[in-house]
Amino acid sequence: MAAEQKLMSVRRDWRERDVRVVLAALVIAVATVATIALFASQLQRTLVTSASSFLAADRQLEAENGRPIPDAWLQEATARGLETGQMVEFSTMVFGGGGFQLVSVKAVSNEYPLRGEIEIQSGPDSPRELVKAGPQPGEVWINPRLLRLLELEIGDSLEVGNLQLTVSGLLIREPDGGFRLSALAPRVMMHKDDVPATGVVQEGSRVEYVYLFAGEESALEGYYEWLRPQLEPSHEWEGVRDGETFSRSLQRAERFLLLGGSLAVLLAAVAVAVASRQYALSQRDTVALLKTLGLNGAGIGRLYLRRLLLWGITGVVGGLVVAIPLFWLLASMLSDVLERPVDIYLDPAALTPALLTALVSLFAFAYPPIRRLRNVPAMRVLRSQPGESGREAWPDMLVAIVAIFGLVWLYAGELALVVSLLGGLVLLLLALGLLGWGLVTVLRRVRGGGNAWRLALVGLYRHRNASLSQIAVFAMTLMLAATLVLVRTSLLNDWQAQLPDDAPNHFLINIAPETVDEVAGFWDEQGQPLEELYPMVRGRLTELNGQPVKEAVSKDERIGALNRELNLTWMESLPEDNEIIEGQWFADGEQNGVSVEAELAGRLGLQLGDELTFTIGSEKVTEVVTSIRTVQWDSMKPNFYMAFPPGGGLEGLPATWITSFYLPPEKKTALNAFSRQFPTVSVLEIDHIISRIQEIVQQVTRAIEAILALILAAALVVMAAVVSATLRDRQREGALLRTLGGRQSLLVRSTMLEFAVLGGFAGLLGVVAAEAAVYALQFRMFEGTFNWHWQVIIPIPLISAVVLSLFGRWQLRPVLSVSPMLLLRRLE
Amino acid sequence: MNQMTKPTPESQPPMLRAKGLTHRVRLETDTLTILQGVNLEINRGESVAIVGRSGSGKTTLLGLLAGLDTPTEGSVELDGATISQLSEDQRAQLRASRVGFVFQSFQLLPALTALENVMLPLELAGIEEPEKRARELLERVGLGERLTHTPRQLSGGEQQRVAIARAFASEPVVLFADEPTGNLDNRTGQAVSDLLMALNREQGTTLVMVTHDEHLAARCARQFHIEAGQLTEPEALGEPVS
Repeated sequence: MAAEQKLMSVRRDWRERDVRVVLAALVIAVATVATIALFASQLQRTLVTSASSFLAADRQLEAENGRPIPDAWLQEATARGLETGQMVEFSTMVFGGGGFQLVSVKAVSNEYPLRGEIEIQSGPDSPRELVKAGPQPGEVWINPRLLRLLELEIGDSLEVGNLQLTVSGLLIREPDGGFRLSALAPRVMMHKDDVPATGVVQEGSRVEYVYLFAGEESALEGYYEWLRPQLEPSHEWEGVRDGETFSRSLQRAERFLLLGGSLAVLLAAVAVAVASRQYALSQRDTVALLKTLGLNGAGIGRLYLRRLLLWGITGVVGGLVVAIPLFWLLASMLSDVLERPVDIYLDPAALTPALLTALVSLFAFAYPPIRRLRNVPAMRVLRSQPGESGREAWPDMLVAIVAIFGLVWLYAGELALVVSLLGGLVLLLLALGLLGWGLVTVLRRVRGGGNAWRLALVGLYRHRNASLSQIAVFAMTLMLAATLVLVRTSLLNDWQAQLPDDAPNHFLINIAPETVDEVAGFWDEQGQPLEELYPMVRGRLTELNGQPVKEAVSKDERIGALNRELNLTWMESLPEDNEIIEGQWFADGEQNGVSVEAELAGRLGLQLGDELTFTIGSEKVTEVVTSIRTVQWDSMKPNFYMAFPPGGGLEGLPATWITSFYLPPEKKTALNAFSRQFPTVSVLEIDHIISRIQEIVQQVTRAIEAILALILAAALVVMAAVVSATLRDRQREGALLRTLGGRQSLLVRSTMLEFAVLGGFAGLLGVVAAEAAVYALQFRMFEGTFNWHWQVIIPIPLISAVVLSLFGRWQLRPVLSVSPMLLLRRLE
Repeated sequence: MNQMTKPTPESQPPMLRAKGLTHRVRLETDTLTILQGVNLEINRGESVAIVGRSGSGKTTLLGLLAGLDTPTEGSVELDGATISQLSEDQRAQLRASRVGFVFQSFQLLPALTALENVMLPLELAGIEEPEKRARELLERVGLGERLTHTPRQLSGGEQQRVAIARAFASEPVVLFADEPTGNLDNRTGQAVSDLLMALNREQGTTLVMVTHDEHLAARCARQFHIEAGQLTEPEALGEPVS
């Protein structure tokens, strides 16, 4: 109907303060949720791509039995639309320059790498460059240390077995270098087609064939399904590796973003709810008039429903207009620090949560009070009718809360998060109930008078319903904002603690037992002492309680640890960052038992007392599980799935030692002297990986801060919504007080006090509820430890009191600046 | 509209008839009787004033007669329709087609312009060319130059003139006025009541006005007094004062 349309126009609605708050809340909600979801999806892609580049492919198939896989397997992969590539890895002696050296050779096919890039230098002083293919046939790339060890120069020839190859580049980094400790000797990279001519690889040689696969996820899955029944125990199918520090950092960031997004959803919903309830109240006169003029209930319903839709569209469009450039900015910030930037892609699916948020906010929170408008009696045009008691709103509130937490669950996919936040809110409401009871029983005794304090307390008592609901909303807002700030702080602290500036950035592997003391002495002299040294024995877990382990464990579990050799160790005392969660650490002198890492124990279903049999070379070692412990995989120190006591099951088996240490960039040259002195010790340089992680963490931190700012803006909108809800009443009261002879200073003082008390309570409740939520979250989502955050518990209530009392003073402005008469008339 | 000829009061059933109208409001502890057995007949084209003090029940009576509310007991017939038997939506339909209102506090929609406020009931009643009719009426009330102004940009008297234009826009058969000059000063009030009376005469509308202003009441053909929920008609005054 034309009249209904006439009543609907965003431009006209915009003139109303409450509508502005609803629209602002919607725009911020959509903007925040959309930005976060888009960024999180970008982060996810970054994560997968970066993790894939650690494999140089999406999947790897390793054949550790020294035999290539059947050609049919590769043909099948090609038929399924997958890209494939091949590598052969073996150790051999090479000759060149003035000497010979044991090296670890990696021979690659033309396709290598399918994912990621190889970093090389064309000479010791040339810039580093990224290339997408390995050396050509007849050429070889070598580790810079090998260049120095053999005193070679670029262009010299290097003899690998029977073949002379030309050194054409320095190999700085392979995309699939990762943290793997198998690279024991300096690396040499050559072309796979040259391998036969070397004559090194023969039947029975220790050779590992590795096959690379890349393509659509579904094709990869399908191929694995096809392949799995044909795999032998020595075949290892590897997907994106977990346990990488890099992925872990990003995963936490992603979780934080999800938490932020969820809080934004909640805050926006609160803002929309408060503002639209206020809007509905202000529309009662209009509805009564429209009814008087003959618009029926259905017409009223249609009118406001369409208006809601219009707001929804405006909110979504406005939100996206803000979100998309912001996402672009954040994503390019992230992209700048990635060595292999991921294309910025606006994932339409990531917009769904934002649209759902707008929809749920509108229909679960805004619609109910507006729907009740049709019940406004027409008689209201003649005489004011009792308004809503608030009781009608309870069932709606319940539905809305369920809807919004359902949305958060759907969005974050973390029940723990929903429960933590909901728990915090319930706690807050309980405290609020107590406070309300206190307000009624204690403040009832206070009688008014000339004193500002008493006036303030009487004010609180008289407006107890409004005061309580204001405290509720302020406290809720503060709780959500404080939760986010606290989690952010602990997240950043965790990252910093995890990767301090002097985090170990080099591993020493393959240290012979008799040189351990010398090696430690060498680095002590350099002023770079080593971390703890551990013995390492490589072995496979083959039996569980006397049964072959692959039968004992459910087939659905793909456990990489079972497919490859594990690093086993023995140690006297538990490393500082490990923690026993079940059983007991070895007693002094104890020689039996084995301690198992918790995650692996969980996946294998291991219990204390289970019998594990390891095959080490030709030996079998059987021990009983005596403890289960957690390990900090991202500590940059040697970590072990299985630890034995000194003199225990590993006694007498050949071991080499491993350790890590920090080497500052300016002392890198010491590695040359070290390599010359200890040619058999391998040095694994991970300094570039660490600095990359640190840079990424920094960028993600910036992104998180930008999003935090957005969310705090949402919190401000909520505050504005609440304040605007009571503005007129407060002004009218102030005007009346002045009319009745109240001095301005009294009015100012009592109002400021009233708001200060209100703000103080809200702050206190909010902080306590936030602590409760953070306590829960910390355990379930961020694996951190909980501490009381005195740095927020004390200042937040104070700041909230001061800010609100200034807010109260600001609200009074019109009351103080014009004559009471004029004001009363204006407010009529 | 359906009013083709102008019927004489004597030959037609009354425009408004209230029988045994009683209205009670339930309070927390007891029940308050606001109207008690009110009987009333108002003929077509008549102008009637209901005079009473604050709290006498006159606004409640107006609301019941206009179908804004339903009585606890008794019945109201408006132009042949028994209001208390109609549903809420049917009453809305009846108001849209046959009833006009003028309120003490004007009740204009603040977000709409003067023109849009006047067009509103025309559109709700589905009358064609609402804008043309609304312009004519606003010109008639002397606001031809203020069509695009919103209520906030108009004075009290001007707002009430817009409200009067709106009330007559859909050519109602009966017009209810609740203290139409109550919020205006004497001179403005006089001008507004002149306009109201004049339009009422021009359109032959039945006018039911609630007021505590004896002077305004004296301009109506008949006057009722209401006190403590009881309605009395002191005497027929004959020709109204104009």
